[in-house]
Amino acid sequence: MAQCVQSVQELIPDSFVPCVAALCSDEAERLTRLNHLSFAELLKPFSRLTSEATTPWFESYRETFLQSMPASDHEFLNHYLACMLVASSSEAEPVEQFSKLSHEQHRIQHNSDYSYPKWFIPNTLKYYVLLHDVSAGDEQRAESIYEEMKQKYGTQGCYLLKINSRASNRASDEQIPDPWSQYLQKNSIQNQDSYEDGPCTITSNKNSDSNLLSLDGLDNEVKVDGLPNNFRAHPLQLDQPSDPSNSIDGTDHVKPASSLHETKKGNTGIIHGACLTLTDHDRIRQFIQEFTFRGLLPHIEKTIRQLNDQLMSRKGLSRSLFSATKKWFSGSKVPEKSINELKNTSGLLYPPEAPELQIRKMADLCFLVQHYDLAYSCYHTAKKDFLNDQAMLYAAGALEMAAVSAFLQPGAPRPYPAHYMDTAIQTYRDICKNMVLAERCVLLSAEILKSQSKYSEAAALLIRLTSEDSDLRSALLLEQAAHCFINMKSPMVRKYAFHMILAGHRFSKAGQKKHALRCYCQAMQVYKGKGWSLAEDHINFTIGRQSYTLRQLDNAVSAFRHILINESKQSAAQQGAFLREYLYVYKNVSQLSPDGPLPQLPLPYINSSATRVFFGHDRRPADGEKQAATHVSLDQEYDSESSQQWRELEEQVVAVVNKGIIPSNFHPTQYCLNSYSDNSRFPLAVVEEPITVEVAFRNPLKVPLLLTDLSLLWKFQPKAFSGKDNEEVKELVTSQSAMIGTEVISEFLINCEESKVARLKLFPHHIGELHILGVVYNLGTIQGSMTVDGIGALPGCHTGKYSLSMSVRGRQDLEIQGPRLNNTKEEKTSVKYGPDRRLDPIITEEMPLLEVFFIHFPTGLLCGEIRKAYVEFVNVSKCPLAGLKVVSKRPEFFTFGGNTAVLTPLSPSASENCSAYKTVVTDSTSMCTALVSSASSVDFGIGIESQPEVIPVPLPDSVLKPGASVQLPMWLRGPDEEGVHEINFLFYYESVKKQPKIRHRILRHTAVICTSRSLNVRATVCRSNSLEDEEGRGGNMLVFVDVENTNTSEAGVKEFHIVQISSSSKHWKLQKSVNLSENKDAKLASREKGKFCFKALRCKEKEAATQTSEKYTFADIIFGNEQIISSASPCADFFYRSLSSELKKTQAQLSVYAEKQSTEDAVRLIQKCNEVDLNIIVLWKAYVVEDNKQLILEGQHHVILRTVGKEAFSYPQKQDPPEMELLKFFRSENTTVSSRPSVEQLSNLIKTSLHYPESFNHPFHQKSLCLVPVTLLLSNCSKADVDVIVDLRHKTTSPEALEIHGSFTWLGQTQYKLQLKSQEIHSLQLKACFVHTGVYNLGTPRVFAKLSDQVTVFETSQQNSMPALIIINNV
Amino acid sequence: MAVCIAVIAKENYPLYIRSAPTENELKFHYMVHTSLDVVDEKISAMGKALVDQRELYLGLLYPTEDYKVYGYVTNSKVKFVMVVDSSNTALRDNEIRSMFRKLHNSYTDVMCNPFYNPGDRIQSRAFDNMVMSMMVQVC
Repeated sequence: MAQCVQSVQELIPDSFVPCVAALCSDEAERLTRLNHLSFAELLKPFSRLTSEATTPWFESYRETFLQSMPASDHEFLNHYLACMLVASSSEAEPVEQFSKLSHEQHRIQHNSDYSYPKWFIPNTLKYYVLLHDVSAGDEQRAESIYEEMKQKYGTQGCYLLKINSRASNRASDEQIPDPWSQYLQKNSIQNQDSYEDGPCTITSNKNSDSNLLSLDGLDNEVKVDGLPNNFRAHPLQLDQPSDPSNSIDGTDHVKPASSLHETKKGNTGIIHGACLTLTDHDRIRQFIQEFTFRGLLPHIEKTIRQLNDQLMSRKGLSRSLFSATKKWFSGSKVPEKSINELKNTSGLLYPPEAPELQIRKMADLCFLVQHYDLAYSCYHTAKKDFLNDQAMLYAAGALEMAAVSAFLQPGAPRPYPAHYMDTAIQTYRDICKNMVLAERCVLLSAEILKSQSKYSEAAALLIRLTSEDSDLRSALLLEQAAHCFINMKSPMVRKYAFHMILAGHRFSKAGQKKHALRCYCQAMQVYKGKGWSLAEDHINFTIGRQSYTLRQLDNAVSAFRHILINESKQSAAQQGAFLREYLYVYKNVSQLSPDGPLPQLPLPYINSSATRVFFGHDRRPADGEKQAATHVSLDQEYDSESSQQWRELEEQVVAVVNKGIIPSNFHPTQYCLNSYSDNSRFPLAVVEEPITVEVAFRNPLKVPLLLTDLSLLWKFQPKAFSGKDNEEVKELVTSQSAMIGTEVISEFLINCEESKVARLKLFPHHIGELHILGVVYNLGTIQGSMTVDGIGALPGCHTGKYSLSMSVRGRQDLEIQGPRLNNTKEEKTSVKYGPDRRLDPIITEEMPLLEVFFIHFPTGLLCGEIRKAYVEFVNVSKCPLAGLKVVSKRPEFFTFGGNTAVLTPLSPSASENCSAYKTVVTDSTSMCTALVSSASSVDFGIGIESQPEVIPVPLPDSVLKPGASVQLPMWLRGPDEEGVHEINFLFYYESVKKQPKIRHRILRHTAVICTSRSLNVRATVCRSNSLEDEEGRGGNMLVFVDVENTNTSEAGVKEFHIVQISSSSKHWKLQKSVNLSENKDAKLASREKGKFCFKALRCKEKEAATQTSEKYTFADIIFGNEQIISSASPCADFFYRSLSSELKKTQAQLSVYAEKQSTEDAVRLIQKCNEVDLNIIVLWKAYVVEDNKQLILEGQHHVILRTVGKEAFSYPQKQDPPEMELLKFFRSENTTVSSRPSVEQLSNLIKTSLHYPESFNHPFHQKSLCLVPVTLLLSNCSKADVDVIVDLRHKTTSPEALEIHGSFTWLGQTQYKLQLKSQEIHSLQLKACFVHTGVYNLGTPRVFAKLSDQVTVFETSQQNSMPALIIINNV
Repeated sequence: MAVCIAVIAKENYPLYIRSAPTENELKFHYMVHTSLDVVDEKISAMGKALVDQRELYLGLLYPTEDYKVYGYVTNSKVKFVMVVDSSNTALRDNEIRSMFRKLHNSYTDVMCNPFYNPGDRIQSRAFDNMVMSMMVQVC
């Protein structure tokens, strides 16, 4: 039980007090009425008031309950002991009045018409009170009447009470304590709180001629209406009589129900006791004292004495006789009674004068005057008697009171007999079916147990009494039980909480909404946040409902909100109910304050960090042949790798624009901000360009949510056009579309447990600072259950006709937490987050806006295929655009044509069937010789710039005017590797006038090209051994080109025609085709292979001298009848592109060696003589059948030859993926291997050739020795002087040489030592001597070479592998 | 057999709770929650010294009209609560004890999972199946 202020020792005597009735004359009533009080109320304030306790409502209930116990026949505790008869001195015949009242009292007590009130003994004490109005009445007369009364009733039986010392209607200046107000007020509150379940119907009982007695249904309150006499019952409390100061505190209780009537009748604002002075108060107090000591107590004493005498006299004789006879006749008498008992559950009824009842009566009197010892023994005796008689009701009453008085005995000679109480309760409840008595018993017992700290027993008692019949009682008792649990030595909080919930439930059933809410709230404290989600939801839901019915809407909203935002485990139907309830309550809240700020809605969840912001227009869909640049869009997933690539591209182009340096304030342009992008700076948006915000919603519920009128909420701070900042910040909030246009999504449905994004647009029309605050929408759900089970049931998903059951408007803020900072020590040790500004764009002035379209842009190409496409550049803004550049990682993929090319912007349609190349018709005679032209790489934008990837777009006027569009041809070359290629283009452009905030803008495009295999070209170059060069400078080479058709027939390619093979070099040129194969037009069907052989010459010295190092010589060898000018666009463009990309690769490789080799010139020199810079361009045509149409595709392949004798390929050699290597940790030794050039390299230092007649006729019969002159030509291939040793002594020792029948010898000097200057050719005249006819190999001389200025001799035998056969014939 | 089985963490929040007739889950939640008071009482009644040697099985916590509630506390103060239909008289103390032991073993297995974060809700399928098997058998 909750802690009560009143201790149990006070409670019980308070509950059982001697009762005194008051009977007033009409006039006396009128007097007291002046004070707006009845006579009973007048005496009331001298009672003790209880102060506040933890559960004051319960104490009030208990107090009221105990005092309103109906008087019953089996006990006498609340039977009236005395009656006050009150008359006024102002009456005409007061003495007459008194006797009339006396008769009235007698009539009420003894007339059988009145079952109530009950009187203690037949001879009731009458006490006569004469009321005197001091201000109005005649004091003399009052005194005389009083004298008369004294004579008639004796001094002890009457009293003169003077009241109303001042006039009523005068406003009181002095503050007189008003003891009534508190008491009456309290009563009225109690009545509202705890007495609502009691029907206060007044049943009028028209009975006698003069009196109307009305009984209140519950309270049995006696009241006489409309008649001069007014009955009022007074339970009067006596305190310790020994204490003189306290003894006057007579408590005057008026039954609450009556006071309820009073307060309802009267005006509650009335000041009570307005006519009473402090002296009057004292007089009343004195009167009570006088009455108690002179009247009541002597009367009680007398009664006890009488009863005692009666009992004593009976004890010896009659009682034993009675019991004896009972025993004798028990066989006949008792069963009769028990049958009666069974029929009439209240048990046996004693006549009022039965001796058993006399004991009980005496016990009650003793109890009332707090003589507990005696009371206990009397109760005990009575109990035995009653039990013997099987009078269960009486027995239970005696048991109850015996237990109470045992408890109240001072010094506690015996322990509290709890089992008495238990038996009593059980009897009351089960046998007598008297719940009221049972409840009283429980209340008392629980209170007693509580005082003895037996909380669990108390709780058990209280819980046992809860039943279905009275919700209010059950609720109160459950609540007390809950308090018992928490007051235990080890508090049982969970039991407390559970019983609080039960109590709350019963309270709500009883209509006590406030109490119900309070109970649930208290229980909530235990359940909150412990993971008992079902219970928590239930409590929250109930709290929400109760709060709502009590109009505590804010609480209701927060409670419902709580149910919805936690990950609910409830079923879909339950969640739907929660949501509807929430929306309903919410709607009520918002209706209360329609102008208030929009409230925050809890649903759906917003994953604010997943918010993405996109600046710019949506991408236009492809329009026929035109294909718009992909640019950036919200549909693209974030890919860190590609974003890094774009960033690098942008850095490259910015570096080029700023002369190689990236400005320090450069930041890559971001069109789409997400959680991965750098959001630490305010993003820049351009006026008149839309801003799209993608908000990620998630519906945690199992019911669909429907958002309507969804739009962004923003704040805008415009910047004045005049330039000067106006200090006063003008803040606008949404709905002003003149500044910022806001797009509204009318319906947005989120299915159950679905995550969905909404894209919301803003159109800034003014420059300034924009802050996107959040989203605003109507939250609702869909009517009906059909949508509960999922998407399938939503056919109208896009048609947007939902019957919106209910919706509320609210907002949700978008608050994005920035990344965690981790730079400084302080940031590392604490948790700090950086700002995230993605929702705070700055709207800047107009910028040009480029759109790029690709026309005839292919999706599939053969490797190396050349295709002409067109690009259209459109400036869609109102600003001119300049400085257009494009940057790509794959510059070899495309070209806009070099500067030498005549820019003829043909319309794309006109040039459809034309060749991509520039051609010249030639006559067929010049077929095998080369046509030479030259071109500088500068013209093609290659060579000088360090960034070949950045290509300026050749705009006609270099400026694109607003609204203007330009179409430019663009050649594409299929990448050499087959497969799918993603090629990124980044278009860079700037405004004509410099913008401080945005320097440039970019446009991205990703082209996807699928290439299929076409030709595979490999080429080798080797020295020609022949010296038949006209110039005789030994610089001719042989070039072998193998072309293989590797195309698989899937691509529809029938055959390839090699149209032309061109060379391009700074120093070399192709001269002529060597093998004129019969396959003149050089067709290659599938999987065929063709071989071409060419002779290459060194360019003329004077040509080479005049040429700058960038000048390349192009030589074309034509197999058809058209010459493709290889030195023009696009052929040369692609050649240079591939060259530069190749260079890049090799440079990267070479740079490793570079410094090492600088120290070793020798090796370098030796290597150099093996190098050749000849590039072969193979131009081809492919005949393709596609959709029964023959198409001719063109293409070119490049082979870059660098080393003599080494095979080079047109396509990058596929390298086997390096096998997983174990990481080795060692110091890399500077290997000396590279310092020694390889044998092969050295063998190329000197080129040797033998010149001799192929067959020689010699008459051996004439001359046995045959001498043949042989010329050995030595040519130095290197740029340095070389020492050469020619040794002829060497014999062939190979076994096959021995097999040759006989050998030959060299005649003359067998060893020559020479020095050859750079590029020098020296001829040695040798003589060979033969003795037999036959075939001989002359290739025996060994040549050793060494760089002459080198100390170290890399002497090695020169290659002489070539057999030089000579036939010696005999003539 | 059982109608509701719950595993409650040391701090008295539920790690796992499952009841057989799902329509009245709330009731069982309340029941299990309230039973924790009795568990606390029983543990604290044993006294400090005995706690270490005590038996893990606590026996009947309290009976209600329709159900009996049994408790079991591991040494790490994790509570197992089992609600059993009162009408089922076949279940003796010994059976309940062995069921708890089975539950404890299964719980230990869950704890041994290196991917399980102690204190999280138990979402192990093996544990689920074991609990289901204990609840289904009777029907």
